[in-house]
Amino acid sequence: MDPHASPSAITYYITASTAESLLYLDDQRAIKPHLAASYDVSTDGKSFTFKLNQDVTFQDDTPFNAAAVKWNFDRIVDPNFKAGGALSSLTGYTGTDVVDDYTAKVNFKDPFAPFLTYAAGGTLAFISPTATPKQGTAVNTTPVMTGPFKISEYVAKDHCTLTSWTVYERKSPWASQAGPGYLEKITWKFVPEAGTRTTTVESGETQMVDVVVGQDLTPLAANKDLKIMKKPWTGAPRIWLLNVILAPTDELEVRQAINYAIDKDAIVNTVYKGLGTKAIAPMTKVMLDDPSLEAYYPYDQNKAKQILDAAGWKGDSGIRQKDGKPLKLVLNAIDYGGGPEQTVILIQGQLREVGIDVQIKAQARPPWYEDNYKGATNGPVLFLRSGDLDGLYALFYSANVGTNFNWAMLKDNTIDQLLLQGRQESDPAKRNAIYLQIEKKLMDMAVSVPLVDELSVFVMRQNVYGLQFNGYTYPVVAGCYLS
Amino acid sequence: MYAYLMRRLLSTIPVLFGVLLLVFSMLHLVPGDPVKMMLGEFQTSPEQIAKLQSQLHLNEPLPQQFGRYVWNVLHGDLGTSIRSNKPVTQEIMDNLPSTLQLALAGLLIAGVLGITLGVLAAVKQYSWLDVGSMLVALIGISMPSFWLGLLFIFAFSLRFRLFPATGGGDLKHLVLPAVTLGLGAAAIIARLTRSSMLEVMRHEYVTTARAKGIKESRVIIRHALKNALIPVVTIFGLQFGQLLAGTVVIETVFGRPGIGRLIVDAILNKDFPLVQGIVLVVAVSYVIVNLIVDLVYAFLDPRIRYE
Repeated sequence: MDPHASPSAITYYITASTAESLLYLDDQRAIKPHLAASYDVSTDGKSFTFKLNQDVTFQDDTPFNAAAVKWNFDRIVDPNFKAGGALSSLTGYTGTDVVDDYTAKVNFKDPFAPFLTYAAGGTLAFISPTATPKQGTAVNTTPVMTGPFKISEYVAKDHCTLTSWTVYERKSPWASQAGPGYLEKITWKFVPEAGTRTTTVESGETQMVDVVVGQDLTPLAANKDLKIMKKPWTGAPRIWLLNVILAPTDELEVRQAINYAIDKDAIVNTVYKGLGTKAIAPMTKVMLDDPSLEAYYPYDQNKAKQILDAAGWKGDSGIRQKDGKPLKLVLNAIDYGGGPEQTVILIQGQLREVGIDVQIKAQARPPWYEDNYKGATNGPVLFLRSGDLDGLYALFYSANVGTNFNWAMLKDNTIDQLLLQGRQESDPAKRNAIYLQIEKKLMDMAVSVPLVDELSVFVMRQNVYGLQFNGYTYPVVAGCYLS
Repeated sequence: MYAYLMRRLLSTIPVLFGVLLLVFSMLHLVPGDPVKMMLGEFQTSPEQIAKLQSQLHLNEPLPQQFGRYVWNVLHGDLGTSIRSNKPVTQEIMDNLPSTLQLALAGLLIAGVLGITLGVLAAVKQYSWLDVGSMLVALIGISMPSFWLGLLFIFAFSLRFRLFPATGGGDLKHLVLPAVTLGLGAAAIIARLTRSSMLEVMRHEYVTTARAKGIKESRVIIRHALKNALIPVVTIFGLQFGQLLAGTVVIETVFGRPGIGRLIVDAILNKDFPLVQGIVLVVAVSYVIVNLIVDLVYAFLDPRIRYE
């Protein structure tokens, strides 16, 4: 539950109602003031000055001030601290100046335009500088934050209980009125088995469930006791990154053929069944939508076969060959204990139809990561949650080869330059133009197969109201109530 | 009895030493760099990798590492979980009560149901009671526990709304997982009890007891059952191990916390200190339970103490 240490999305599901950041990204992805009443960006784009609200305290009554901002950000970049996703949100951080009690100036080595979005994210939420050092490892389960709900109990693999922090008097950016939430207590139950999880909301044992599987959605939608809320995930879609330095995906023609040969509609219709839509680019449509991206790689098996024939990969039936070598590649897939996901099995079948033999390497997360760092396979299928188009930096900047997440092993000067420009440009329209250029170039190079824009889906009882999603698509349950 | 007890206690020492050696070897038998595997998805610097290597003493000679490991285990220090940063002992103690509660409840159900069905089937051999009991036992053995669990959830949580489908906590939450877990073991115990009872009831001392005019129920319980239970008790020990292993599936299906889910997550996350700690605790539990079974065995059959 430590927002600075966690690499898991589930942390931010929960802390969206207990933690607060300098800014807030609303469900339309507009940046709004939160713990900071206002902000100012220096002309060189390297410094961000935040004027803090003066009525904020942590849940242990420690005042929230500029010193607390500095303490939190310094903690994340401390080499002795094992940071999670928070570290990349502070790339190039050189320090925070405490200008006065309620003014903090956050400095970076280079211009860092996406910082405003990151400053509104859960990874840069604040924990008490007084309570945390005394808590020891308890910060991992019950961190002390500033939000309207406290994490009062965390039982691993069972549940996490949030209780209303009754002295909370401010008006949260998602709320219609000031004060704490309507509910006294909210319990997140961790139920790993999808069928069991779904049953709990049908029987009324729980009021709301997340992560339903495709085949369950239709019967749930037909259940009059239930209603469904969907919201597209921000960041990268479910995407197959193609390793550009390992044969045979080191050949542009092979990567293009793969893109033509995969029927994304079939994946959406048979596996996702209402839990996703067809992806068109390395960032989801909700991040950047453009007709030019829609035109790339329509499903066309004949086109794929022609490209492979022209590239010398021949074979009337069965697996194609070139110079005596079969057209064989390895797809790196995570196995959470129930085998690889259905999407990769469909991909395997679809590519077999054009003569490409896909071997699925299904494995646990740590060796999956290890193979990705080394580029040991022809690439993994993954998703990446990100609130900013700068998520492309993590996926395709050359310095991120061997680390998170340039697992296409791409080293391209033009892409690098454009990604840096995107970080430096503060004008939203100009930034979008830069990222559109990047996405088109990435699609030309066929370094990935964007598969499915996934939806965050919550199924709830009819008497549940008030669920909201923040701009990162995490659910804010603080405003929920039961009629 | 004392000598027997001492002999059995001493015999556990080499077993436990072997367990320690195997558990220690786990980390070194894994292909690749275990530290890089463990840090996996975290963005780590070479300094952090070196720090973890030093923390795990991987730069020391193997015998020294093993000596340190044994010393730490004897002092209750099983290391620190890579994922949660919590002491492994604490992680295990947080989860063990829930699993023990489930395994013991499963064992209780297995024992009561299995012995009752087995005795009834033997006493009323070839009757509908015999056929019915053995049919239930056959179904219990054949049905995978995850499927049985989902059926119970569908029936008793969704349709009849009698029991919650998920979570730890009070007795109500324990019923469905314990019954699911216990049914398979109950089937095995029922079949064994039946065959053991049938064999014992042919012995002359049972005929003698009946000839003396002792009530049939007393003959069955006092004379036949006590002797028929000797092989059943042995199976109890083995079944306890099976039930501990079975909690992995049951805890996942019913969303209960426990050692089963803890070890699956630890394996998937390559959290070696946690895996080592759990394997050690489970192995030691198994050794202790089998020791208890041997002692009960000696109580039930006095001949064993003098052999």
